[in-house]
Amino acid sequence: MKKGIVILLILSVVLSGCWNRRELNELAITMAIGIDKLEDEYLVSAQVVVPAEVSASGGKGGSPVTLVQGRGETVYEAIRKMTKGSPRKIYPGHLRILILGESLAKEGIGNPLDLISRDWEFRSDFYVVIAKDSTAEELLNIQTPLESIPANKMFNTLKTSEENWAATVGVTLDQLIINLRSDGKEAVLTGLVATGQIEKGSSKQNVETVTPAANIQFDDLAAFKDDKLVGWLTEDESRAYSDIMNLVKSTVGTISCPEEGKANLEVLRFKSDVKGNVKNGIPEVDIGIQIEANVGAIECPIDITIPESLEALEKIYEKEVEKTIKDSITSVQEKYEADIFGFGNAIHRSNPKEWKTMKKEWNEYFIDLVVNTKVDVKIIKTGTVSNSVVEKRKD
Amino acid sequence: MGLFSKKKNDPLKSTTPPRSHTEESNEIKKLQTKLQDNIKIVKGTLGGSSDTIIREIRIGKGGVLKAGIIYTDGLSDAPSIQNFILESLMLDIKNTEVESKLTLNPQLMNTLKDFAMTVGEVKDVTNFDELLNALLSGDVIFLIDGYSNGLIIGNKHWVDRGVTESSTQTVIRGPREAFSENLRVNTALIRRKIKDPKLWMESRVIGIRTKTNIEIMYIKGIASDEIVGEVRIRLDRINIDGILESGNIEELIQDANNSSFPTVYNTERPDVVAAALLEGRIAILIDGTPFVLIVPALFVQFFQSAEDYYQRADLTSLIRILRFFSFTIALLAPAVFIAATTFHHEMIPTALLISLAAQREGVPFPAFVEALIMEITFEILREAGIRMPKAVGSAMSIVGAFVIGSAAVEAGIVSAAMVIVVSMTAIASFVTPTYDMGMTIRILRFVFMGLAASFGLFGITVGLIALVLHLCSLRSFGVPYMSPIAPFNADGQQDTFVRFPLWKMRTRPHLISQENIDRQQNSASAKPEPEKGQ
Repeated sequence: MKKGIVILLILSVVLSGCWNRRELNELAITMAIGIDKLEDEYLVSAQVVVPAEVSASGGKGGSPVTLVQGRGETVYEAIRKMTKGSPRKIYPGHLRILILGESLAKEGIGNPLDLISRDWEFRSDFYVVIAKDSTAEELLNIQTPLESIPANKMFNTLKTSEENWAATVGVTLDQLIINLRSDGKEAVLTGLVATGQIEKGSSKQNVETVTPAANIQFDDLAAFKDDKLVGWLTEDESRAYSDIMNLVKSTVGTISCPEEGKANLEVLRFKSDVKGNVKNGIPEVDIGIQIEANVGAIECPIDITIPESLEALEKIYEKEVEKTIKDSITSVQEKYEADIFGFGNAIHRSNPKEWKTMKKEWNEYFIDLVVNTKVDVKIIKTGTVSNSVVEKRKD
Repeated sequence: MGLFSKKKNDPLKSTTPPRSHTEESNEIKKLQTKLQDNIKIVKGTLGGSSDTIIREIRIGKGGVLKAGIIYTDGLSDAPSIQNFILESLMLDIKNTEVESKLTLNPQLMNTLKDFAMTVGEVKDVTNFDELLNALLSGDVIFLIDGYSNGLIIGNKHWVDRGVTESSTQTVIRGPREAFSENLRVNTALIRRKIKDPKLWMESRVIGIRTKTNIEIMYIKGIASDEIVGEVRIRLDRINIDGILESGNIEELIQDANNSSFPTVYNTERPDVVAAALLEGRIAILIDGTPFVLIVPALFVQFFQSAEDYYQRADLTSLIRILRFFSFTIALLAPAVFIAATTFHHEMIPTALLISLAAQREGVPFPAFVEALIMEITFEILREAGIRMPKAVGSAMSIVGAFVIGSAAVEAGIVSAAMVIVVSMTAIASFVTPTYDMGMTIRILRFVFMGLAASFGLFGITVGLIALVLHLCSLRSFGVPYMSPIAPFNADGQQDTFVRFPLWKMRTRPHLISQENIDRQQNSASAKPEPEKGQ
């Protein structure tokens, strides 16, 4: 009996034989996937790494990535059809970025996202972006300097930009899905644009010049209503979005000096708090923002050694932030009628009972929603010098 | 019918009971009265071996007595036979009162023993078994014509290696001496460290033909009587023709024959044995080998080095953690690498994955086969390195470096990452202070590699669970092998993964020594007395 079990165990090891084993050189490591809609078909483009070309020992001078494409009525079909032109099966476990074509986004992103969120091989921590004014295929065709794998360039650019310039927002798949499913918040996605001569971007020469002929750049946010793209925010609106969503890690604010010229404040700490409130059946939202800033640059005659002038700068910045936020909210309310700021969720949190009745007509409520903004700025440092260097020279 | 003795119930016949039970079955042959008969029997039994020296002399007044001296050339000290036996019998007692007493009388042997033998160890012998045993151990046999008994004169002396430096368990700080092949030297080395009268030794002779001397050594009152009893029982149960090395004994007394984990510790360092004895363990010394067995042996013991106790406790603790870490690497590194690269690609960071994939381009074998090739090559090199003559060592290391090295990568047989993993595994497996445990890891590594290749990390996990179950089921002389981890013992943690400072290690290991548990009475003495008046 015991012997039988042992033999059975050994056989199970020997005979089962690595049933879904895949060696590393059987994988098409896909770093970026682009989905476009061509009439009734999906065109899926996968940016696949050519390992030999990016290895430390140096390649033969070929392209570090290659584009594998497939067409099909559904995304899944298109991905499987890719094997017709690729010796290796697409492996999306290390996907960095998913690019959706603008035309597809206007029609709705819900259907193509289903496979990507359902399949176990996809992780949900990659960024989802929209190809602005172009197709995903075009963007995936551009070679990039510094990062030889374009998908890595996009991923890292978005990450760095998000951390240092508040107007860019990286949205990962899981966040996107949460937003799509939420009643109280509409989704936003970052736009990705190709600049320069796009048709030259595919060749190696693109990375051989100091200024690449074609480049990829992140742009402002795209606002969604349900799963359809309804319009693009401006830079100020994008900024206001990250302010309200408390996504700012560090950024630079440009303000006008009391008299003339400009000054920059570097935001060191940022905290925003959105609180919902329902008064007499009318929802209201209070936004409280606390900023700690550093004097980044001064291009105007002001004596910042005097506390009063710092206070004056604080006041000006407070007003500017408040204005940006108010204007942005108004513009979104008017233009898109989509609650991308998640005010609905704020009401849901504060007044769950009232939310139940408002939920269905929330869009109507949102258009007329009153938002009170309160900004509190504190300048805590002035950098390594006190007054402007130019100021000293004048004395 | 063969008894020629003139007197029955000879008072000189002080029969000693047979020392080993294995001889009981044989009929004990008594010594003959005639010297020539005795010599003939000895010669006949030994087949006239050339190393048996028989010297016939005449002693007593006017040479009235015929006597014979028999010894084995090479095992006995020839100069002292001449100085202390032949000279004293033939010259020194001449013209003395003793000489006149040397006539045929019943007290002759005692007279000689008391007055003429100028050596330390003299015993009576009446049968051939004992006689031959002593003769082949290097003692000198003295027989007189007309007597059916003789004398065994202790005169063992042979060339041995002497006490040299330990080569298997080296330390930077600590005593350098190691055991030698001589049992008596070895017991002396331990006695020199522990001068406690409670350090007891029990002798056994094991091996029907080799008649190997074995000593069970323990400190009475610290070592558990039950475990000592168990050791006795197991040793007495051995019925084999030859014991040549401690490994023979180990195999015959160990608990788990089907396990690849050692349940008996061996060392060639006297300080390790002394420390083990003080912990209540039992040492088994075997004549003819410098390796001494220590029981009970626990899993953690194989990760402890003698030096751990001579260095600072904090450094030792870190090094010990490093050893357990290395053990894990040596056991699992190739397996985890195989699992990650063939099943769990998403676990590898993207940049590393691409780099690994680039290295694998053009490698013809699956990762498992690749790992197997490298591991087996390494095992072959290691085995060759141990067995081959030292003179060709450098030649082999050059060739070896080619086989497991960049040449193998350049040839496109294996990937560079695999070379690194295998090399790291090899180095990590040498960190384990005991060779035995290193061997175990070597075997188990291949098992885990197979599991990883079939089932990925799932297989490794199942393998680890089985390993832990197996380890917990083992026992060494009644003590759970994994103690003090499982069963958990809080006091035992002072010397497991970390070593506490000596002044905090106040107790001996609980399960090993249950009787006299305290090592030191109070620990306050470790620190200087606080100044008074504070």
